[in-house]
Amino acid sequence: MKQESEWEPKLLGFLCRWCSYAGADLAGTSRKKYPANIRIIKVPCSGRVDPLFILKALRLGFDGVLVSGCYPGDCHYQTGNYRARRRMAITKKFLEYVGVDPQRIQASWVSASEGGKFTEVVTEVTKGLKEIGPNKLFADER
Amino acid sequence: MKDRETEQRLRREAKALLEQGKVDYIIGFETGSLKFTTTPLITKDKDSVDRLIINPFIVNNLSEYLTELKGRVGIVAKGCDNRSIVSLIQDNQVKREDVVILGVPCPGIIDLSKVEGLVGKDRDELDDVTRDGDKVVVTVDGEKKEFPASEVLFDNCLGCEFPTPQEYNILLDESSSLVADKTASRKGIETLEGMPQEQRWDFWEKEFSRCIRCYACRSICPACFCERCFVEESEPQWIAPVPRWQDNLIFQVIRNIHVAGRCTDCGECERACPVNIPLRSLTKEMYDLVDDLYHFKAGMDKEAAPLMTHYETTDPEDFIK
Ligand code: SF4
Ligand code: SF4
Ligand code: SF4
Ligand code: FES
Repeated sequence: MKQESEWEPKLLGFLCRWCSYAGADLAGTSRKKYPANIRIIKVPCSGRVDPLFILKALRLGFDGVLVSGCYPGDCHYQTGNYRARRRMAITKKFLEYVGVDPQRIQASWVSASEGGKFTEVVTEVTKGLKEIGPNKLFADER
Repeated sequence: MKDRETEQRLRREAKALLEQGKVDYIIGFETGSLKFTTTPLITKDKDSVDRLIINPFIVNNLSEYLTELKGRVGIVAKGCDNRSIVSLIQDNQVKREDVVILGVPCPGIIDLSKVEGLVGKDRDELDDVTRDGDKVVVTVDGEKKEFPASEVLFDNCLGCEFPTPQEYNILLDESSSLVADKTASRKGIETLEGMPQEQRWDFWEKEFSRCIRCYACRSICPACFCERCFVEESEPQWIAPVPRWQDNLIFQVIRNIHVAGRCTDCGECERACPVNIPLRSLTKEMYDLVDDLYHFKAGMDKEAAPLMTHYETTDPEDFIK
């Protein structure tokens, strides 16, 4: 039997291959410790992330979603992250109104050289998810 | 009285447009089959333009039909419909030169359910419902009762910011005299905002448990113009085709994200819903959200880029780590 205290949140990360994914890689190769709670999907650009991915992840039972891309001005495709920024803003704010804890929907800018920042972001987001508990949004019995 | 004049003018203009070959179709309103109601009239026939009407019940957003008709179209448009047309032009769904906009400054549309509630009688039992300035006069059993217009107009009309069309070929009347009541227009949203987060989610679970996924909301919405909607995609299948509340709610949240910056708060989706889900408490929230975040109002400028294809380097990002 698993104790409630042993529950670990599952975080789904959509990481841009040009920056945040490389940042996560760097964190790994430089042996920085970040929570194993994150499962990573490599995307060509943060602009690839459709709000539908976020809803689908929550529907599948992920406790939180993190979208991470290149800093403004640094997007490999120039404007992908600016578009992502608008999408993430309305998705997060609208879902908050509908009743989803905003901690479950997170975004960050992490460059390829920021292994440390990646570690911090994942640690912080995971901590937040632990505080708010498991995602039972789509469960029939809550 | 005023409606009669506007109506006469509309018929003359519509007839002339068809006779001179300036348009292939006229889209407007005619008398509906149920008492007081109106229904869309789409015609190529210059003699049927005499069926066109203007009255306080011309509720539908006719711009929905523009993407379905080929050729040039003369279309009757109130303030919100007019913005939907402009929004379709912004999205390259309609060419400006293919539409002749017959603008109607709108004093607000009467919600017959509200009238029924106030009078305590079914619409079939009412003799007449007319608009008189800031009042609505209801005649029942030969007796006249007056109500402030703000009590019987549709909620979205009470929140209307631009009742007079801004982009038109012919304006059928001078500006309108809409009585607005912004608080009443956001009543549903404010009740929800007053609830704790979990309770809001429970509220929507309950509402979307009734959704039968008929897609009437999508069909009637001029901003939902996709030839293929994400709900019908099968690889991957984003949501199950059977109506479970979870997937119904995801459908509606994503639909709202897709129409962000395109929705003009015309209120049609909520009226179309056969199970009375308060859809406007979602669409109006999104409408206000994009206005707050990006000072963007749908369909105000035909040259402007659509909200989500555009960005400013200064867009808010306080939520990004
Ligand atoms: S109109 Fe109502 S019942 Fe039909 S799909 Fe939309 S929300 Fe569901
Ligand atoms: S979402 Fe509803 S209120 Fe908005 S434009 Fe579409 S039908 Fe009108
Ligand atoms: S819900 Fe989205 S994909 Fe479907 S028709 Fe509307 S805008 Fe298009
Ligand atoms: S390439 Fe990294 S966000 Fe666009």
